[in-house]
Amino acid sequence: MSPSMVPDRRMACWTAAVFLTVALAGQALAEAQPTTDEKTKTEQAEVPVNGEVLFATSCGWCHQQGGRAAGRGPKLAGSKRDDDFILNRIKRGKQGAMPSFEHSFNDEQIHAILAYIRALPAQ
Amino acid sequence: MIPARNHVTSHGLRKFTALLGLTLAAGLAASTAGAVDPSRIVDADKSPADWLTYHGSYKSYHYSALDQINADNIRNLQVAWTHVPGRSTRGLQSMPLAADGVLYYSGSYSRLFALDGATGEVLWTHFPELNEDLIATQTHSPYNRGIALGHGKVFVGTVDGRLIAVDMKTGEPAWDTKLIDSEKLTVGFTGAPLLVKDTVIIGAQGGEWPSRGPIFGVDAATGKKKWEFFTVAGTEEAKATWGNESWRTGGGGGWMPGTYDPETNAVWWGTANPAPLYDWAGDKWQKEGPRPGLNLYTSSVIALDPDTGKLKFFHQELPHDAWDFDSAVGEFLNIDRNGRKLMVHPNKSGFIFVYDRSNAEIANVWRLVQNINFVKDIDPKTGELIGRRDMAAGKHSNLCPAIPGGISWNTGAYNPNSGLYYKVGQEWCMDLEVVKTTPIVEPQIQLNIGANFQLRDPEGGKAHGHVSGRDPVTGEKKWEVNFTEPPLASLLTTGGNLLFVPDARGYLRALNATTGQEVWKHNNGVGHNGGIISYSAKGKQYVAVETGWGSLVGDEYAALFGEPYKSMPKDSGALVVFALPDQPK
Repeated sequence: MSPSMVPDRRMACWTAAVFLTVALAGQALAEAQPTTDEKTKTEQAEVPVNGEVLFATSCGWCHQQGGRAAGRGPKLAGSKRDDDFILNRIKRGKQGAMPSFEHSFNDEQIHAILAYIRALPAQ
Repeated sequence: MIPARNHVTSHGLRKFTALLGLTLAAGLAASTAGAVDPSRIVDADKSPADWLTYHGSYKSYHYSALDQINADNIRNLQVAWTHVPGRSTRGLQSMPLAADGVLYYSGSYSRLFALDGATGEVLWTHFPELNEDLIATQTHSPYNRGIALGHGKVFVGTVDGRLIAVDMKTGEPAWDTKLIDSEKLTVGFTGAPLLVKDTVIIGAQGGEWPSRGPIFGVDAATGKKKWEFFTVAGTEEAKATWGNESWRTGGGGGWMPGTYDPETNAVWWGTANPAPLYDWAGDKWQKEGPRPGLNLYTSSVIALDPDTGKLKFFHQELPHDAWDFDSAVGEFLNIDRNGRKLMVHPNKSGFIFVYDRSNAEIANVWRLVQNINFVKDIDPKTGELIGRRDMAAGKHSNLCPAIPGGISWNTGAYNPNSGLYYKVGQEWCMDLEVVKTTPIVEPQIQLNIGANFQLRDPEGGKAHGHVSGRDPVTGEKKWEVNFTEPPLASLLTTGGNLLFVPDARGYLRALNATTGQEVWKHNNGVGHNGGIISYSAKGKQYVAVETGWGSLVGDEYAALFGEPYKSMPKDSGALVVFALPDQPK
């Protein structure tokens, strides 16, 4: 609002604020719900349990050249980390560095990604 | 009710009472000079002491007319004060705003701060409580790229899909609206909102996340959603450009704020890329592959009616984008030339598009970077892609630019005095193997790239960056300064004939805006990947820059360039504010 607002406009503003309060209260008392178009939900095509394909879907963004080189994330080929560490890192991620994938990949898919990483030649 | 640290947590009457007081306080605040009426943003040129909206004004110049700091005295510029927000995962990436001597900004996790612009003293903070379990699953987490001001409120989006308003005098919550089911779609909001009249507009992340990338219009007073526009198949015409119902997993989004043209009542917004990023159908993309067709309205500039969200006109910069060179860059420069009203918009590919502001018809297209081979050219008269490089499944060498693009998301600047447009260009390429993938949408959506890749030097040279001063309409270059690594922060130009370049290594540099000659630098100790503004408080000019490192582009630097990026922290950042020393009394 302009600093030169005249008194009758201030009253109008006050009145509007009361109406606004009612509207706001009504909104706040109702639980907010997601409203994104339900049509975004779609039948999932069969995602193959293929570590190489899964890696190129979601992992190659950071682990470059299919995990053969460092990029945003470390090189994975020839990793000295044990299987439990890698499986846990895929599931849990690392805050600020790597997302958790436990809600996107099932155990079978995560083991397929591990098998793909282990099959990479340690250059 | 969405939880927040200083949110009202009670129910029923207590909640109503709190809201009553809050709203009345907001109503009173709205009658003061500090409320930021939308007309102030329209007339932002008339108040150079402020920085009221992400791009400085609706003209998107990132220009401050303030001239106390200039080439003659900048050698005396020094740190006036610093603010450390904490929890700066992936650094600070937002754009501070300033109004009536108060500086407002956001940090990671959408933390909000209001500071005395002259001293840095904290006036209030607001730390929204976010869904941390969701954040752990997000690749783009949990940085925030800015806020909007208006109607006595500060507006900010969250990575868990909410748009929040707080009172700009107190930081007390006004409303909190959940817009996206981020728990299902993974993505939320990282970009700044844009206030247009009575509507707050914000675009969702998307791109490689297989959803539909909505842009929302929300009532600034109540938080009620007014409209939602899907950048993927937002009209029946657009839906027909996605074969095999691939629009259901199309990607899109609009993750940087665009601008508003009051003359045509049009909101200009850049949209993100389709998913998957790379298309194994190669040159058969019109009929085959994961998303046959043009894939409207991805990698496009769109003009929306801010009151209804209806599409007014558009131009798809990259029909069927198969390279992740989207149009999400938020700059839309208003340039008037020879009686024509133009809009200048950078595309991630390294091309700059110049449009007729009334209808988005092409006025020109020019190249900012040299290393481009994803097309042979773009027709400067029609915008048609000439000699597309569509890559089928398999290995491909030396695609230029690389996936971070010839242009990144942070902004350039235009100085109306020099007539030059300043912009960072990125010169790098990559090798890749395109792979046929299947979108993952259950139980939680996951990104769909469709390739493995590795960044590399361009043939015959080293990967590098540059800042140039050019005619914004023709692209004619007046000067260029090379950087061993591309700067990733926004630029600022001022009435003192200065161009500020916050670089990747940590130096804030000032160049002569006319010649490009460096006239000052200061080492902030960590890379820059966010915003920079100038404002005035108590009659004195300040320059505020955000520091902090770590982003999907910056994360490439350790492997590509080595030190100092290998050891550069990705969990720190600060707001550093510069001024000239006070004159002796």
